[in-house]
Amino acid sequence: MAAAAYYILPSPKILSRLFRNPPSIPSSNISLLGSLDYSFHCSSRRGNVEVNAKKKNPWLDPFDDGEDPDMEYGSLFTDGKQEEDPRPPDDPDNPYGFLKFPAGYSVEIASLALKVRGDVRRCCCVVSGGVYENLLFFPAIQMIKDRYPGVQIDVVASDRGKQTYELNKNVRWANAYDPDDDFPVPAEYTDMVGVLKNRYYDMVLSTKLAGLGHAAFLFMTTARDRVSYVYPNVNAAGAGLLLSQTFVADNLNLSDGGYNMYHQMVDWLGRPYRNVPTQPVPPLKVSISKKLKEVVEAKYEKAGVKKGKFVVIHGIKSDSKASMQSRGDPDSLLPIEVWAKIADAVRDVTPLFVIPHEKERENVEEIYDEEASIVFITTPGQLAALINDSAGVIATNTAAVQLANAREKPCIVLFCSEEKGKKFVPQAQERKCVVISSNTGKLIDIDVEAVKNAVQTFNLSPTLV
Amino acid sequence: MAEAIMGFTLFKSHTLGSCLQTRRFLLNQPSRLPKQLSNSTPFNTPCQVLEGKSKRASLCKVNGLPDWPLMAIIVEQMEGQRDLITEKTVSHLSDQAIKNVYSWYIMFTVWGCLFFGAMKDPFYESETYRGDGGDGTGNWIYEKQESMEAEAREALWREELIEEIEQKVEGLRELEEAGKKEELIK
Repeated sequence: MAAAAYYILPSPKILSRLFRNPPSIPSSNISLLGSLDYSFHCSSRRGNVEVNAKKKNPWLDPFDDGEDPDMEYGSLFTDGKQEEDPRPPDDPDNPYGFLKFPAGYSVEIASLALKVRGDVRRCCCVVSGGVYENLLFFPAIQMIKDRYPGVQIDVVASDRGKQTYELNKNVRWANAYDPDDDFPVPAEYTDMVGVLKNRYYDMVLSTKLAGLGHAAFLFMTTARDRVSYVYPNVNAAGAGLLLSQTFVADNLNLSDGGYNMYHQMVDWLGRPYRNVPTQPVPPLKVSISKKLKEVVEAKYEKAGVKKGKFVVIHGIKSDSKASMQSRGDPDSLLPIEVWAKIADAVRDVTPLFVIPHEKERENVEEIYDEEASIVFITTPGQLAALINDSAGVIATNTAAVQLANAREKPCIVLFCSEEKGKKFVPQAQERKCVVISSNTGKLIDIDVEAVKNAVQTFNLSPTLV
Repeated sequence: MAEAIMGFTLFKSHTLGSCLQTRRFLLNQPSRLPKQLSNSTPFNTPCQVLEGKSKRASLCKVNGLPDWPLMAIIVEQMEGQRDLITEKTVSHLSDQAIKNVYSWYIMFTVWGCLFFGAMKDPFYESETYRGDGGDGTGNWIYEKQESMEAEAREALWREELIEEIEQKVEGLRELEEAGKKEELIK
């Protein structure tokens, strides 16, 4: 009896309200959030976003008339962030002894917090795209972690994208499943639905532009909050029916947004709620394990360079899948001839060519130098460890740029146009990053002299240090 | 119809088979016994064989196994005629025996598929199963990889935490040292 007394802390008023209309509670909760973040969305950049974020879908619950104005909340689980381990205090007088549940699994009180405050204990992120898109999703993951303390975040990404999570300490499981595949193998599809459903997520985020099909996939996970981008055109028809929160993408390719490609989702995740202020978006950060560092050190020492005495050159044109381009910038690789010219200007440090495929090794040796330092790297984890040990990075618009920014290494980035540069590296000055863009809109026409000049300043910096 | 049903009920005995043979034997010689069998159905014949004073018949069976008749001989004796000797050596199986044979056949086939199928399996011989990372159980294909990665990330998280704590401790030490120096200067 004493144990039970711990759980019946909220006033009976709340409980009776909770039990009176259980089905409408999750959606009323969400609409409540929606009404609160209205003013917030008004101040956000896009005009069409808040219209859609505000509009309630009447199909979700026809009897949901919004927040009850007479609703009175008690003191328990109403405001503030969730705690990391919401277990009731141990009761020494409990006749049943100490029943210890794992964190987040205390069934008696967790459900209450889930309903009243909208806690998220387990969250799944379905991230569309390759390495670049997944890397840019890191701040959002960090933000979820900060906003919902103690949340367990899992990721579902494509094979290439999943490799990125070697660099992320906040993720628990990372599953390889390509959400962009329009015709998945039925067995894989059903398997993944089963896996996600069995994990009992509270929130599912998806950065794939959802139509009815993807919305159904998310719906089948039976998560409480199913949050997804939807197509900005008619393909989104029916998706809102199965999702609890939708963001209309700016255009068909989300990656066109550059560094802030997930701004709508991030705005929504960081929305203020009751006493919780707006959650700021953290900068992109990657963490590199010791093991990875050791492996990469062996690799680049084999290539004949020393720690801190080389410049990473990334973005050699190849038909390899491991080139780590963004989907929003297809013209972002330079042929080795151009790279050879640029590498000639590097004097004080050794240029280290990163090749995405072994077949490129010959080309580099042929065109640049027989004794060129070449390292074969395909995974973002190894690339990050390499950049971490380097003096700097010269790269086109590949994941190497974001990794260099994340590890605060000096960086020269070559872009096909100035807009792309602004989008993908928004705060170039703060980040020790020199952006050089082509005037014609094609990367191949880039001004090699300008790059060489930039490399000269870059040559001085390691000697000064 | 009724005759057919009769026939089916009669079908149980294994003498029937031999009788059928008998009839066929007789039918092959229509000139000898035309009237006796003209209006009889095949299943009525055994009765006729054993009834009637003008004709006697004796049946002799040899079983190979208890349920497995190997050979049957019918000797029919009719007045004024030579004995008809019907010798049948075709071995018949009873229904039960046929069922047994087929069930053994099925069981052997299933067992054989499983046993011989398991002897040489391309999957178990493949690199996926025998290659690096496999412990020979096959479990790793489903769960191990992901749990290993999850553990690696947890380790990474701990590493970072330790680094952060060390940095904070260093910062505190520096502050303390600075404070001590200030005190010394004073």
